[in-house]
Amino acid sequence: MNVEIAGLTRHFGRNQAVAGVNLEAGPGVFGLLGPNGAGKTSLLRMMATVLPPSSGKMRLLGREPGSYGPRREIRRRLGYLPQNLGYYPSFTVVEFVEYFALLKEMPAARVPAAVAAAIERADLGDKARAKLRTLSGGMLRRVGIAQAIVNDPELLLLDEPTAGLDPEQRVAFRALLRNLGERATVVVSTHLVEDVGAACTEVALMNAGKIVFRGTPEQLTAKGEGHGVGDAPLERGYSAVLTEARS
Amino acid sequence: MTLTDALARPRPRDAGHASPMSLWRLLWLELRRNAMPWMFPLLAALFVFDAFRSAMGYGPFWDLRASALENKLLPDFVAFVAGVAAWMGSRDSRRRTRDLVDATARPRWTAQLTTWAATTLWVAAGFLCCVAVLYGVTASQATWGGPPWWPVAVCLAELALMSALGFAVGTFFPSRFTAPLAAVGAFLLSLEGFRNAVGRSSAYALLSPTTYVPDDDTGLFHHYLPDVSIAQLMFLIGLTMVALAILGLRRAADAGPQLRRAAAVIAVAGLAAAGTAIGLIGTARTQAYGTVIPALHDAANDRPIPYTPVCSQAAGVPVCVHPAYRNFLPDVTAALAPVLREIASLPGAPARVDQVVVNDLIPSNGAAITGVPPVFRLPMPATPDETSFGQNAVSFTSYLQATLVTVFVVGAHGFVTLGPVGGTPAQQAVVLALLQKARTATQTGSGPGNGSHTKADQVAAAARRFAALPATTRHAWLAAHLATLRAGDITLAQLP
Repeated sequence: MNVEIAGLTRHFGRNQAVAGVNLEAGPGVFGLLGPNGAGKTSLLRMMATVLPPSSGKMRLLGREPGSYGPRREIRRRLGYLPQNLGYYPSFTVVEFVEYFALLKEMPAARVPAAVAAAIERADLGDKARAKLRTLSGGMLRRVGIAQAIVNDPELLLLDEPTAGLDPEQRVAFRALLRNLGERATVVVSTHLVEDVGAACTEVALMNAGKIVFRGTPEQLTAKGEGHGVGDAPLERGYSAVLTEARS
Repeated sequence: MTLTDALARPRPRDAGHASPMSLWRLLWLELRRNAMPWMFPLLAALFVFDAFRSAMGYGPFWDLRASALENKLLPDFVAFVAGVAAWMGSRDSRRRTRDLVDATARPRWTAQLTTWAATTLWVAAGFLCCVAVLYGVTASQATWGGPPWWPVAVCLAELALMSALGFAVGTFFPSRFTAPLAAVGAFLLSLEGFRNAVGRSSAYALLSPTTYVPDDDTGLFHHYLPDVSIAQLMFLIGLTMVALAILGLRRAADAGPQLRRAAAVIAVAGLAAAGTAIGLIGTARTQAYGTVIPALHDAANDRPIPYTPVCSQAAGVPVCVHPAYRNFLPDVTAALAPVLREIASLPGAPARVDQVVVNDLIPSNGAAITGVPPVFRLPMPATPDETSFGQNAVSFTSYLQATLVTVFVVGAHGFVTLGPVGGTPAQQAVVLALLQKARTATQTGSGPGNGSHTKADQVAAAARRFAALPATTRHAWLAAHLATLRAGDITLAQLP
């Protein structure tokens, strides 16, 4: 298992963002669904080792990130796309991706080829030399994806990766997710249930800091049978689980 | 290959480790995208209109011109370097990339050090370009010596410190206002804050590079004493190490044990260096030809620099100057000739003129007529306050004439300036008369020094009367009464 989480919590003052999450995930695309404020981003930040948990146990890629050495090893094999992607406006696409490849301590000799491949995979080949300040929101999102996958991570954490992508790019991105999920554990946090249906092999639904559903997209769809809210079957399942959890 | 046809690639078996090559590449990226080069046009303009112009106002003497680096160019640079460093230090917070950077394997401290290093390297490059221009022009004009590098090293150390402080401030207080506030703070700190904090007359003020101003002829007759520069370097580098180490210790929990130890060692070493420098500078004492720190002093630097003077003739009197003043020898002889003619054959009239070292510790500052046969010992100033080589030849001529006449009539009484003349009223009147005859009275100031306007008018009237005498009469009177006049025993009324 690449992700083993037990009883994970995180408080921000009196607010409990994550309230005892248990989760295990191996290779594949894992969808993390939930309404705003459900704790998805906090959970992803803890898995990205940038936010220490308040309590609970977490093993990533077979290592515990609490101590420096294992945490550094995890980070070398980690890809992370935050919800609010920051960037350096004066960097070009190539420079930005290369910068993060170097920060991930990739061997210098491998960096140029890995950067070129990541940029191509994110379909940014024709913008490789463009400065980030000149790119649209959707393109910046793809730059974020490129930097996340540049080290060919074993654990890829994507927070709202398709926000800002046009439908064509979204379809292409789902294909990329499926491809990455063949070898790595890809955790995708999203509001868009169609992304989950198209790309994820497994899905969890969070509400109020807890995982209230865990199963395949088909199982989530089945939960919505007979439930009236939602345009698509998966949306109806999502609404049904949330309604049940809140009641 | 695009998103749609992306193929699985082989996973790296070795996730890699931090290599020097990676660090160089990271530094290269930081250098390419650093904000400092955007400041260069402004810095170039400041250099031309401030430091370069000031330096060119001095004579082409290496150490004197190099003093413009510390006193003009450095204050111009520190504001920009601190501001830009603060801007770069706050980058990850301003650009919201902290999570992205934190999620990478390379410790944040090393990433920060790379960004700081890039900023500092750009600053150093810009500063060295200015030094190259200043030294290049000086090399084409100077006739003696070579470029001093101690001031350059001290300036670079101060720039590194300001860069580290600015970067640390930007990291700890990230906001869009941090950079301008850091710039203003650094400017005030470098100019006034430090000196006021330790006291202007305190030896500890010497730790600030902008405080230390060398004598006019430093490095000509005696070696430039690096004692203070060494202490300054220790102090500045020590503080730089502390500032950078604090960045590492701040994120100690996120750094490995090796980096934590490294940061702690750097902090302790930096504190030790700065503390040692403070201790050393407390023992500094001003000697005749510079400031000496006993523990750092090399006795070999006390030996005068051997040189062969260059000489010419002024009214039949040999005039010899240091070879660094070779280009000014014609001006010197032209200035002294009318005065030497006026006092020729009088008792104590110089048979030779020798340039001597400027010495602030001697009341006469070295200007005197001594020996048998009498030799006029002339210290040459080279700062615009006292004279202006190349800028105002009249002032320079007036200074030389006033020095000679005053020393001849009044004796060694203090460094001669272009203001009022010292001595008794009768001495003042004779000095003014002789200067009038040398056609410089208007440039040297026509009024006597102390006393009421009535007294000044009386001195001026006596001077005019004495100057109006036929040369032979004036000469004869001086020959007969010069000793009494020098002794101060002649009154204005006794002047013919």
